[in-house]
Amino acid sequence: MRKILAVWAAKLAIAGSKLLGKNGSSTPGTIALKICPDILTRLSGDIKKDIVAVWGTNGKTTTNNMILTILENQGSTVVCNKVGSNMLSGVVAAFINYATLSGKVNADYACLEMDEAYARIILKYITPTKIVITNLFRDQMDRYGEIDTTIKYIQEALGKAEDSLLVLNGDDPLTASLGTSHKNTVYYGISENLGLNLNETREGRYCRMCGSELKYDFYQYGQLGKYRCEKCGFKRPVPQYDGSKITSEDYVSFDVKGAHVDLPCKGIYNIYNALAAYAFADSCGIPQEKIVEGLQKYKGQSGRMEEFTIKNKLVVFNLAKNPASFNRSISNVLAEKRTKDVVIGINDNDPDGNDVSWLWDVDFEQLSDPSVISCTTTGIRAKDMTVRLKYCDIPPDKITTESRVKEAVMNAVNGSGERVYIVVNYTLLFSTKKILQELEEEYK
Amino acid sequence: MKLKIAHLYPDLLNLYGDIGNITTVTKRCKWRGIDIETDSIYGNEKIHFTDYDLVFLGGGSDREQLLVRDKLMSMKNEITSYVNDGGVLLAVCGGYQLLGSYYKLKEETIKGLEILNIQTEIGDKRLIGDVVIENEKFGTIVGFENHGGRTFINDHTPLGKVLHGHGNNDKDGVEGVIYKNVIATYLHGSLLPKNPVLCDHIIRLMLEQRGLDTELAPLDDASELDAHKYIVDRFTK
Repeated sequence: MRKILAVWAAKLAIAGSKLLGKNGSSTPGTIALKICPDILTRLSGDIKKDIVAVWGTNGKTTTNNMILTILENQGSTVVCNKVGSNMLSGVVAAFINYATLSGKVNADYACLEMDEAYARIILKYITPTKIVITNLFRDQMDRYGEIDTTIKYIQEALGKAEDSLLVLNGDDPLTASLGTSHKNTVYYGISENLGLNLNETREGRYCRMCGSELKYDFYQYGQLGKYRCEKCGFKRPVPQYDGSKITSEDYVSFDVKGAHVDLPCKGIYNIYNALAAYAFADSCGIPQEKIVEGLQKYKGQSGRMEEFTIKNKLVVFNLAKNPASFNRSISNVLAEKRTKDVVIGINDNDPDGNDVSWLWDVDFEQLSDPSVISCTTTGIRAKDMTVRLKYCDIPPDKITTESRVKEAVMNAVNGSGERVYIVVNYTLLFSTKKILQELEEEYK
Repeated sequence: MKLKIAHLYPDLLNLYGDIGNITTVTKRCKWRGIDIETDSIYGNEKIHFTDYDLVFLGGGSDREQLLVRDKLMSMKNEITSYVNDGGVLLAVCGGYQLLGSYYKLKEETIKGLEILNIQTEIGDKRLIGDVVIENEKFGTIVGFENHGGRTFINDHTPLGKVLHGHGNNDKDGVEGVIYKNVIATYLHGSLLPKNPVLCDHIIRLMLEQRGLDTELAPLDDASELDAHKYIVDRFTK
């Protein structure tokens, strides 16, 4: 009875927030939890096949949505927290959304993106049959203290899921180290050297097993690469799912297990996300041609290299949350050889992390490239970003500080570059997207 | 004539944008025509402290800090004489704690370099957030703190009085330490980019130690001071 009451109340809250036009999707979950604290255990018990949890610093939402696309493409019914509400209340809200008014969840799968630090709390109520971990980078440090704390939290969560299959990125030593003490693990990775050569902070160059320095044959990006510890023997595992023949002309493509995949999106890191989704789907026994078909149907999420046209100019919009994903985004900007005006938006709200020192860890120096005509900084910490660009030796007359997002976007659109690139961090995502949609409409 | 910075173990102590401090000192010298370079010190190489005009010690995770402590302990005498001879040392967060007598954790006590008579003890909650402090000579200094340790500085002169934030230990209302030519603080953010006055003070100390002219050509600091003022206004007004 309590369960049904909780479902009703939460559904009412969902309807209410939709009427108010809000994007927030965790409030209904909070209401349901108040009425029925073990609601998640009760609702998730109905899932017929697998419950998969996706953790990791970068690529969680993308990987989770690729998994969703594969599952739906082969006709399965799926509970999914699509919009990225990845704490307990967001996961509950996903189930509530799917539940019937009698409190039944009639789905084959649940695919759930979870915040790594909250997973240990969520796993009190639900045990995933499979857990995918994409990578571990520095993120929102002021909340977690430091990366070691995050890993401690993850290990605590894994302790509650001893029988689950772990799907791990073997190229990341921090992620791969989690598999050494887990009995049921598969790895994915890329064995060929991508030759990206970025100048950036590398997070986990020290062996988590014994503390000595890892030796690398090559780096892919961040601390991802082909590594080994000469002291204790910990090394990059041979991946069961090995991406090869990587191309990244406009969109990316790769081979895995003898199949060729053309992803309808840009960015090398999406190959890692697709390999994670592939490994998960394969472990579920989904036929290869169905997996490939699903991946090729994947549609990018908000702020993942989304394209708009304003005043006949192509505007490319990207979300970046931390040094690693900012470095990826900046590389994408520079992969474009045409001239461009760039907007960088930095907020310091809680979900972004209140501490912006990481701006100094990002290789913004790349933006001094002559193809970058101008840089406009925006968001709450626009001024910090301006200082950062100044110390990249970008001439002051190329930098504009404009904390209002709409004005910042228009400043770039009115620039003399052939394209506009916009990179913002988390809490600027929805507001900026709305502004871009409105501007696109206005100048049609 | 070239100034030299030793950046100690940037592979281990690289939390919180520490590199921003090196970038800022370097650019502010170069923009004035002062030649400067940085040696990144890794692994077990022996450091010849007398070759350097600034030694920078950043912050790292607990595990990495312990590795660094072991390396530095083997050079304790050399670092101590460097400081006693007026060598310029900037230590941030974990680097600050390592300069003291000890860092007492829940189960163990880590001995420090004993360059400063300060003691650090782990507290229940991490002290996290934006900070504004005031120093008589430099005016306001802004930054961001994130530390589990509470540091007590005894008779040392603090870097500043806390106007907003927690400071050394959330109790006595002060932040950091200035001792001889050592500046030690919990503030990152990074520290120096938004505090150009403090950065130029460090550059002057470096020049002075070399017996060079300490008169610095003025720079246009409008953006730095604007970003500085934003933090001061947001948290103290």
